[in-house]
Amino acid sequence: MASIKKVPALSAAPPLSEVSVLGWMQKNLFSSVFNTLLTLVTLYIIYITVKGLWVWGIADAVWVADNRRECFEISTDGACWAGVIAWLDNIFYGRYPRQELWRVNLGIFFLFIWMTPLWLPRVKAKISIGMTTVFLYPFLGGYLFAGGEKGIFMQIMLTSAIVCLLANTIHSIIGIFSGRSLPEFISSLSGKKNVSDKTQRNIFLGFLALIFVLIFVWQMSWSLERVPWTKWGGLFLTLVIAGIGIASALPGGIILALGRRSRMPVIRVLSTTFIELFRSVPIITVLFMATTMFPLFMPQGFVLNKLVQVIIAVCLFNAAYMAETVRGGLQTIPLGQFEGAHTIGLGYWQTMGLIVMPQALKHMIPNIVGNFISLLKDTTLVSIIGLFDVLGMLRSISKDLPWLGLHKEPLVFGAILFFLICFAMSKYSRHLEVKLSTGHKN
Amino acid sequence: MTEIKDQETAKAGGQLVSAASAEVIIEFTQVNKWYGDFHVLKDIDLSVHKGERIVVCGPSGSGKSTLIRCMNHLEEHQSGSIVVDGITLNRNLKNIDHIRTEVGMVFQNFNLFPHLTILENLTLGPIWTRKMPKADAHDLAVKYLERVKIPEQADKFPGQLSGGQQQRVAIARSLCMNPKIMLFDEPTSALDPEMIKEVLEVMIELADTGMTMIVVTHEMGFAETVADRVLLMDQGQIVEENEPGEFFNNPQHERTKLFLSQIL
Ligand SMILES: Nc1ncnc2c1ncn2[C@@H]1O[C@H](COP(=O)(O)OP(=O)(O)O)[C@@H](O)[C@H]1O
Ligand SMILES: [Mg+2]
Repeated sequence: MASIKKVPALSAAPPLSEVSVLGWMQKNLFSSVFNTLLTLVTLYIIYITVKGLWVWGIADAVWVADNRRECFEISTDGACWAGVIAWLDNIFYGRYPRQELWRVNLGIFFLFIWMTPLWLPRVKAKISIGMTTVFLYPFLGGYLFAGGEKGIFMQIMLTSAIVCLLANTIHSIIGIFSGRSLPEFISSLSGKKNVSDKTQRNIFLGFLALIFVLIFVWQMSWSLERVPWTKWGGLFLTLVIAGIGIASALPGGIILALGRRSRMPVIRVLSTTFIELFRSVPIITVLFMATTMFPLFMPQGFVLNKLVQVIIAVCLFNAAYMAETVRGGLQTIPLGQFEGAHTIGLGYWQTMGLIVMPQALKHMIPNIVGNFISLLKDTTLVSIIGLFDVLGMLRSISKDLPWLGLHKEPLVFGAILFFLICFAMSKYSRHLEVKLSTGHKN
Repeated sequence: MTEIKDQETAKAGGQLVSAASAEVIIEFTQVNKWYGDFHVLKDIDLSVHKGERIVVCGPSGSGKSTLIRCMNHLEEHQSGSIVVDGITLNRNLKNIDHIRTEVGMVFQNFNLFPHLTILENLTLGPIWTRKMPKADAHDLAVKYLERVKIPEQADKFPGQLSGGQQQRVAIARSLCMNPKIMLFDEPTSALDPEMIKEVLEVMIELADTGMTMIVVTHEMGFAETVADRVLLMDQGQIVEENEPGEFFNNPQHERTKLFLSQIL
């Protein structure tokens, strides 16, 4: 038997290059003459760029002025941010009536409240919350944004949305403090223990029905002034179009992807045709088609407004793209998972919903978010067909009399705005990926 | 090869008492199957009695997996008839779903659901296909986890378990469906030698409860201890079919002798 070393080897300190800043710099930036030269040249280029940007954008920039001429009088080679600042409301809300802006803000705030529970770890029933966001929130948000007379359908849906928002919020607050769900909490109020799932659900539904009636009566007493869609604009309009696109792209994409893998030839051919058709055409063409051709297919006298046409086009286009992403994700699931599901008797939809999709979606997160980001950016194309989205608004600053010819600053501002939104999205996707993959590796 | 014979789980004489009854639960008549123009199963005739334990062996590619996968219609046969638990297997989806709830299956690669905890893996079937209340499904799952001796792993994910533990979870998952028949497709082939034993022990205990089992395996020790009948498949045919003593000690067919000489 060879002798075994009893004394553990001392753990030596890592070489300098691994820890100190100077060591790192020497190893990576100045390791050879050529490398040093490259580093210096690069540093110089960065210096010039940053200095130019600093001087133009901040040091010499004008923040307060009444018009472009005043800007020039103060500083000839600085940015004229005053124009952008004067237009901020327009950039964010378009020509939405100023005294009604609270409705937009409230609507966005409600969306925020609605979705926060999805990020709270202790809250249960995340899937239902996500589903209601997609299917009920649009009625609440839509009515807040558009207003007008409420038809009976709108009244019912609006009431459901409000009830749901209330239930979600209370459910999450209870969830944070006790880790329980709202149905559990309500039935525990009645004092009885060990209530079965079924009675628990019935009590909960009864409770909801009661609230529903109360809210329904309450909402009959007021209505909001109508704001026609032509007044919508700016970042708000961009987010409405992109938001609806994002919310519908995933479900649409999943349905199309499943259709493409279906064993039924008719469904398979239809899905494939649809996907390939939309993927082979640029979105701007789809938008033009939607606004000029679409009305031709509609029955006489049936007029859809341009916004709805654009939204439909964006949804279809993105569903087609998402379908391919989803199909890629589905292909990562080994056949064994389907067989495992079959042997415990799960049918097609159960297998897809419980086993395949949850795993596939996890693999697809980076691609899905990538799709969302390009969707958001593509949305600016609607300015070409005459909607005043954020890009349309930024460009009309230069046509406004006091700011005539102000092109650069608004577009730089737009670039920063988009960068912030898209960067946040991709950071978040990265975070999700890490979180989901450390949770349970296989 | 793991020596099962000497373990205390084996019954006196090295052979479990047969639980086979007269009732036939699986009946293959002249079954043929092709993959494209490759003839995988050729004129298979086989009847399995309720409570019978059958071990299927044979060289790789001989159609063993295909044979047992036909029993729960993971594969479709093209001619002949397969009757399982009184139901003829055909394209009727309702029948297939029903049969699959009656027939449990354990795979070489476990096929657990990696995104669900062990407990969720077990309760999924009872809750969604048996419509069992959650609390009952939970109790059932815990009971079977105890049966396969890993109750403490309930809240982990499959990826955190060893191969042997995963395979035992897979067995428990099938048992939670309260199946009438259990199929095993090389359940120990993907396992390290030291884990094979723990899985075989669980299977022997299961055999002891009178479950109808069809096991594709090359664990000859297991076959001798548990099987009522051993089948040898070669090139899509059942070449030899006999009780284990005869099969191992007095093989009739040249191919069986050859196979045994390679495996033992
Ligand atoms: N899906 C398939 N398509 C085509 N050939 C297959 C397929 N599955 C199995 N085979 C072929 O059928 C034969 C029998 O396979 P299998 O039943 O898995 O054998 P065993 O389990 O005995 O090793 C093999 O030659 C294999 O290549
Ligand atoms: Mg096989």
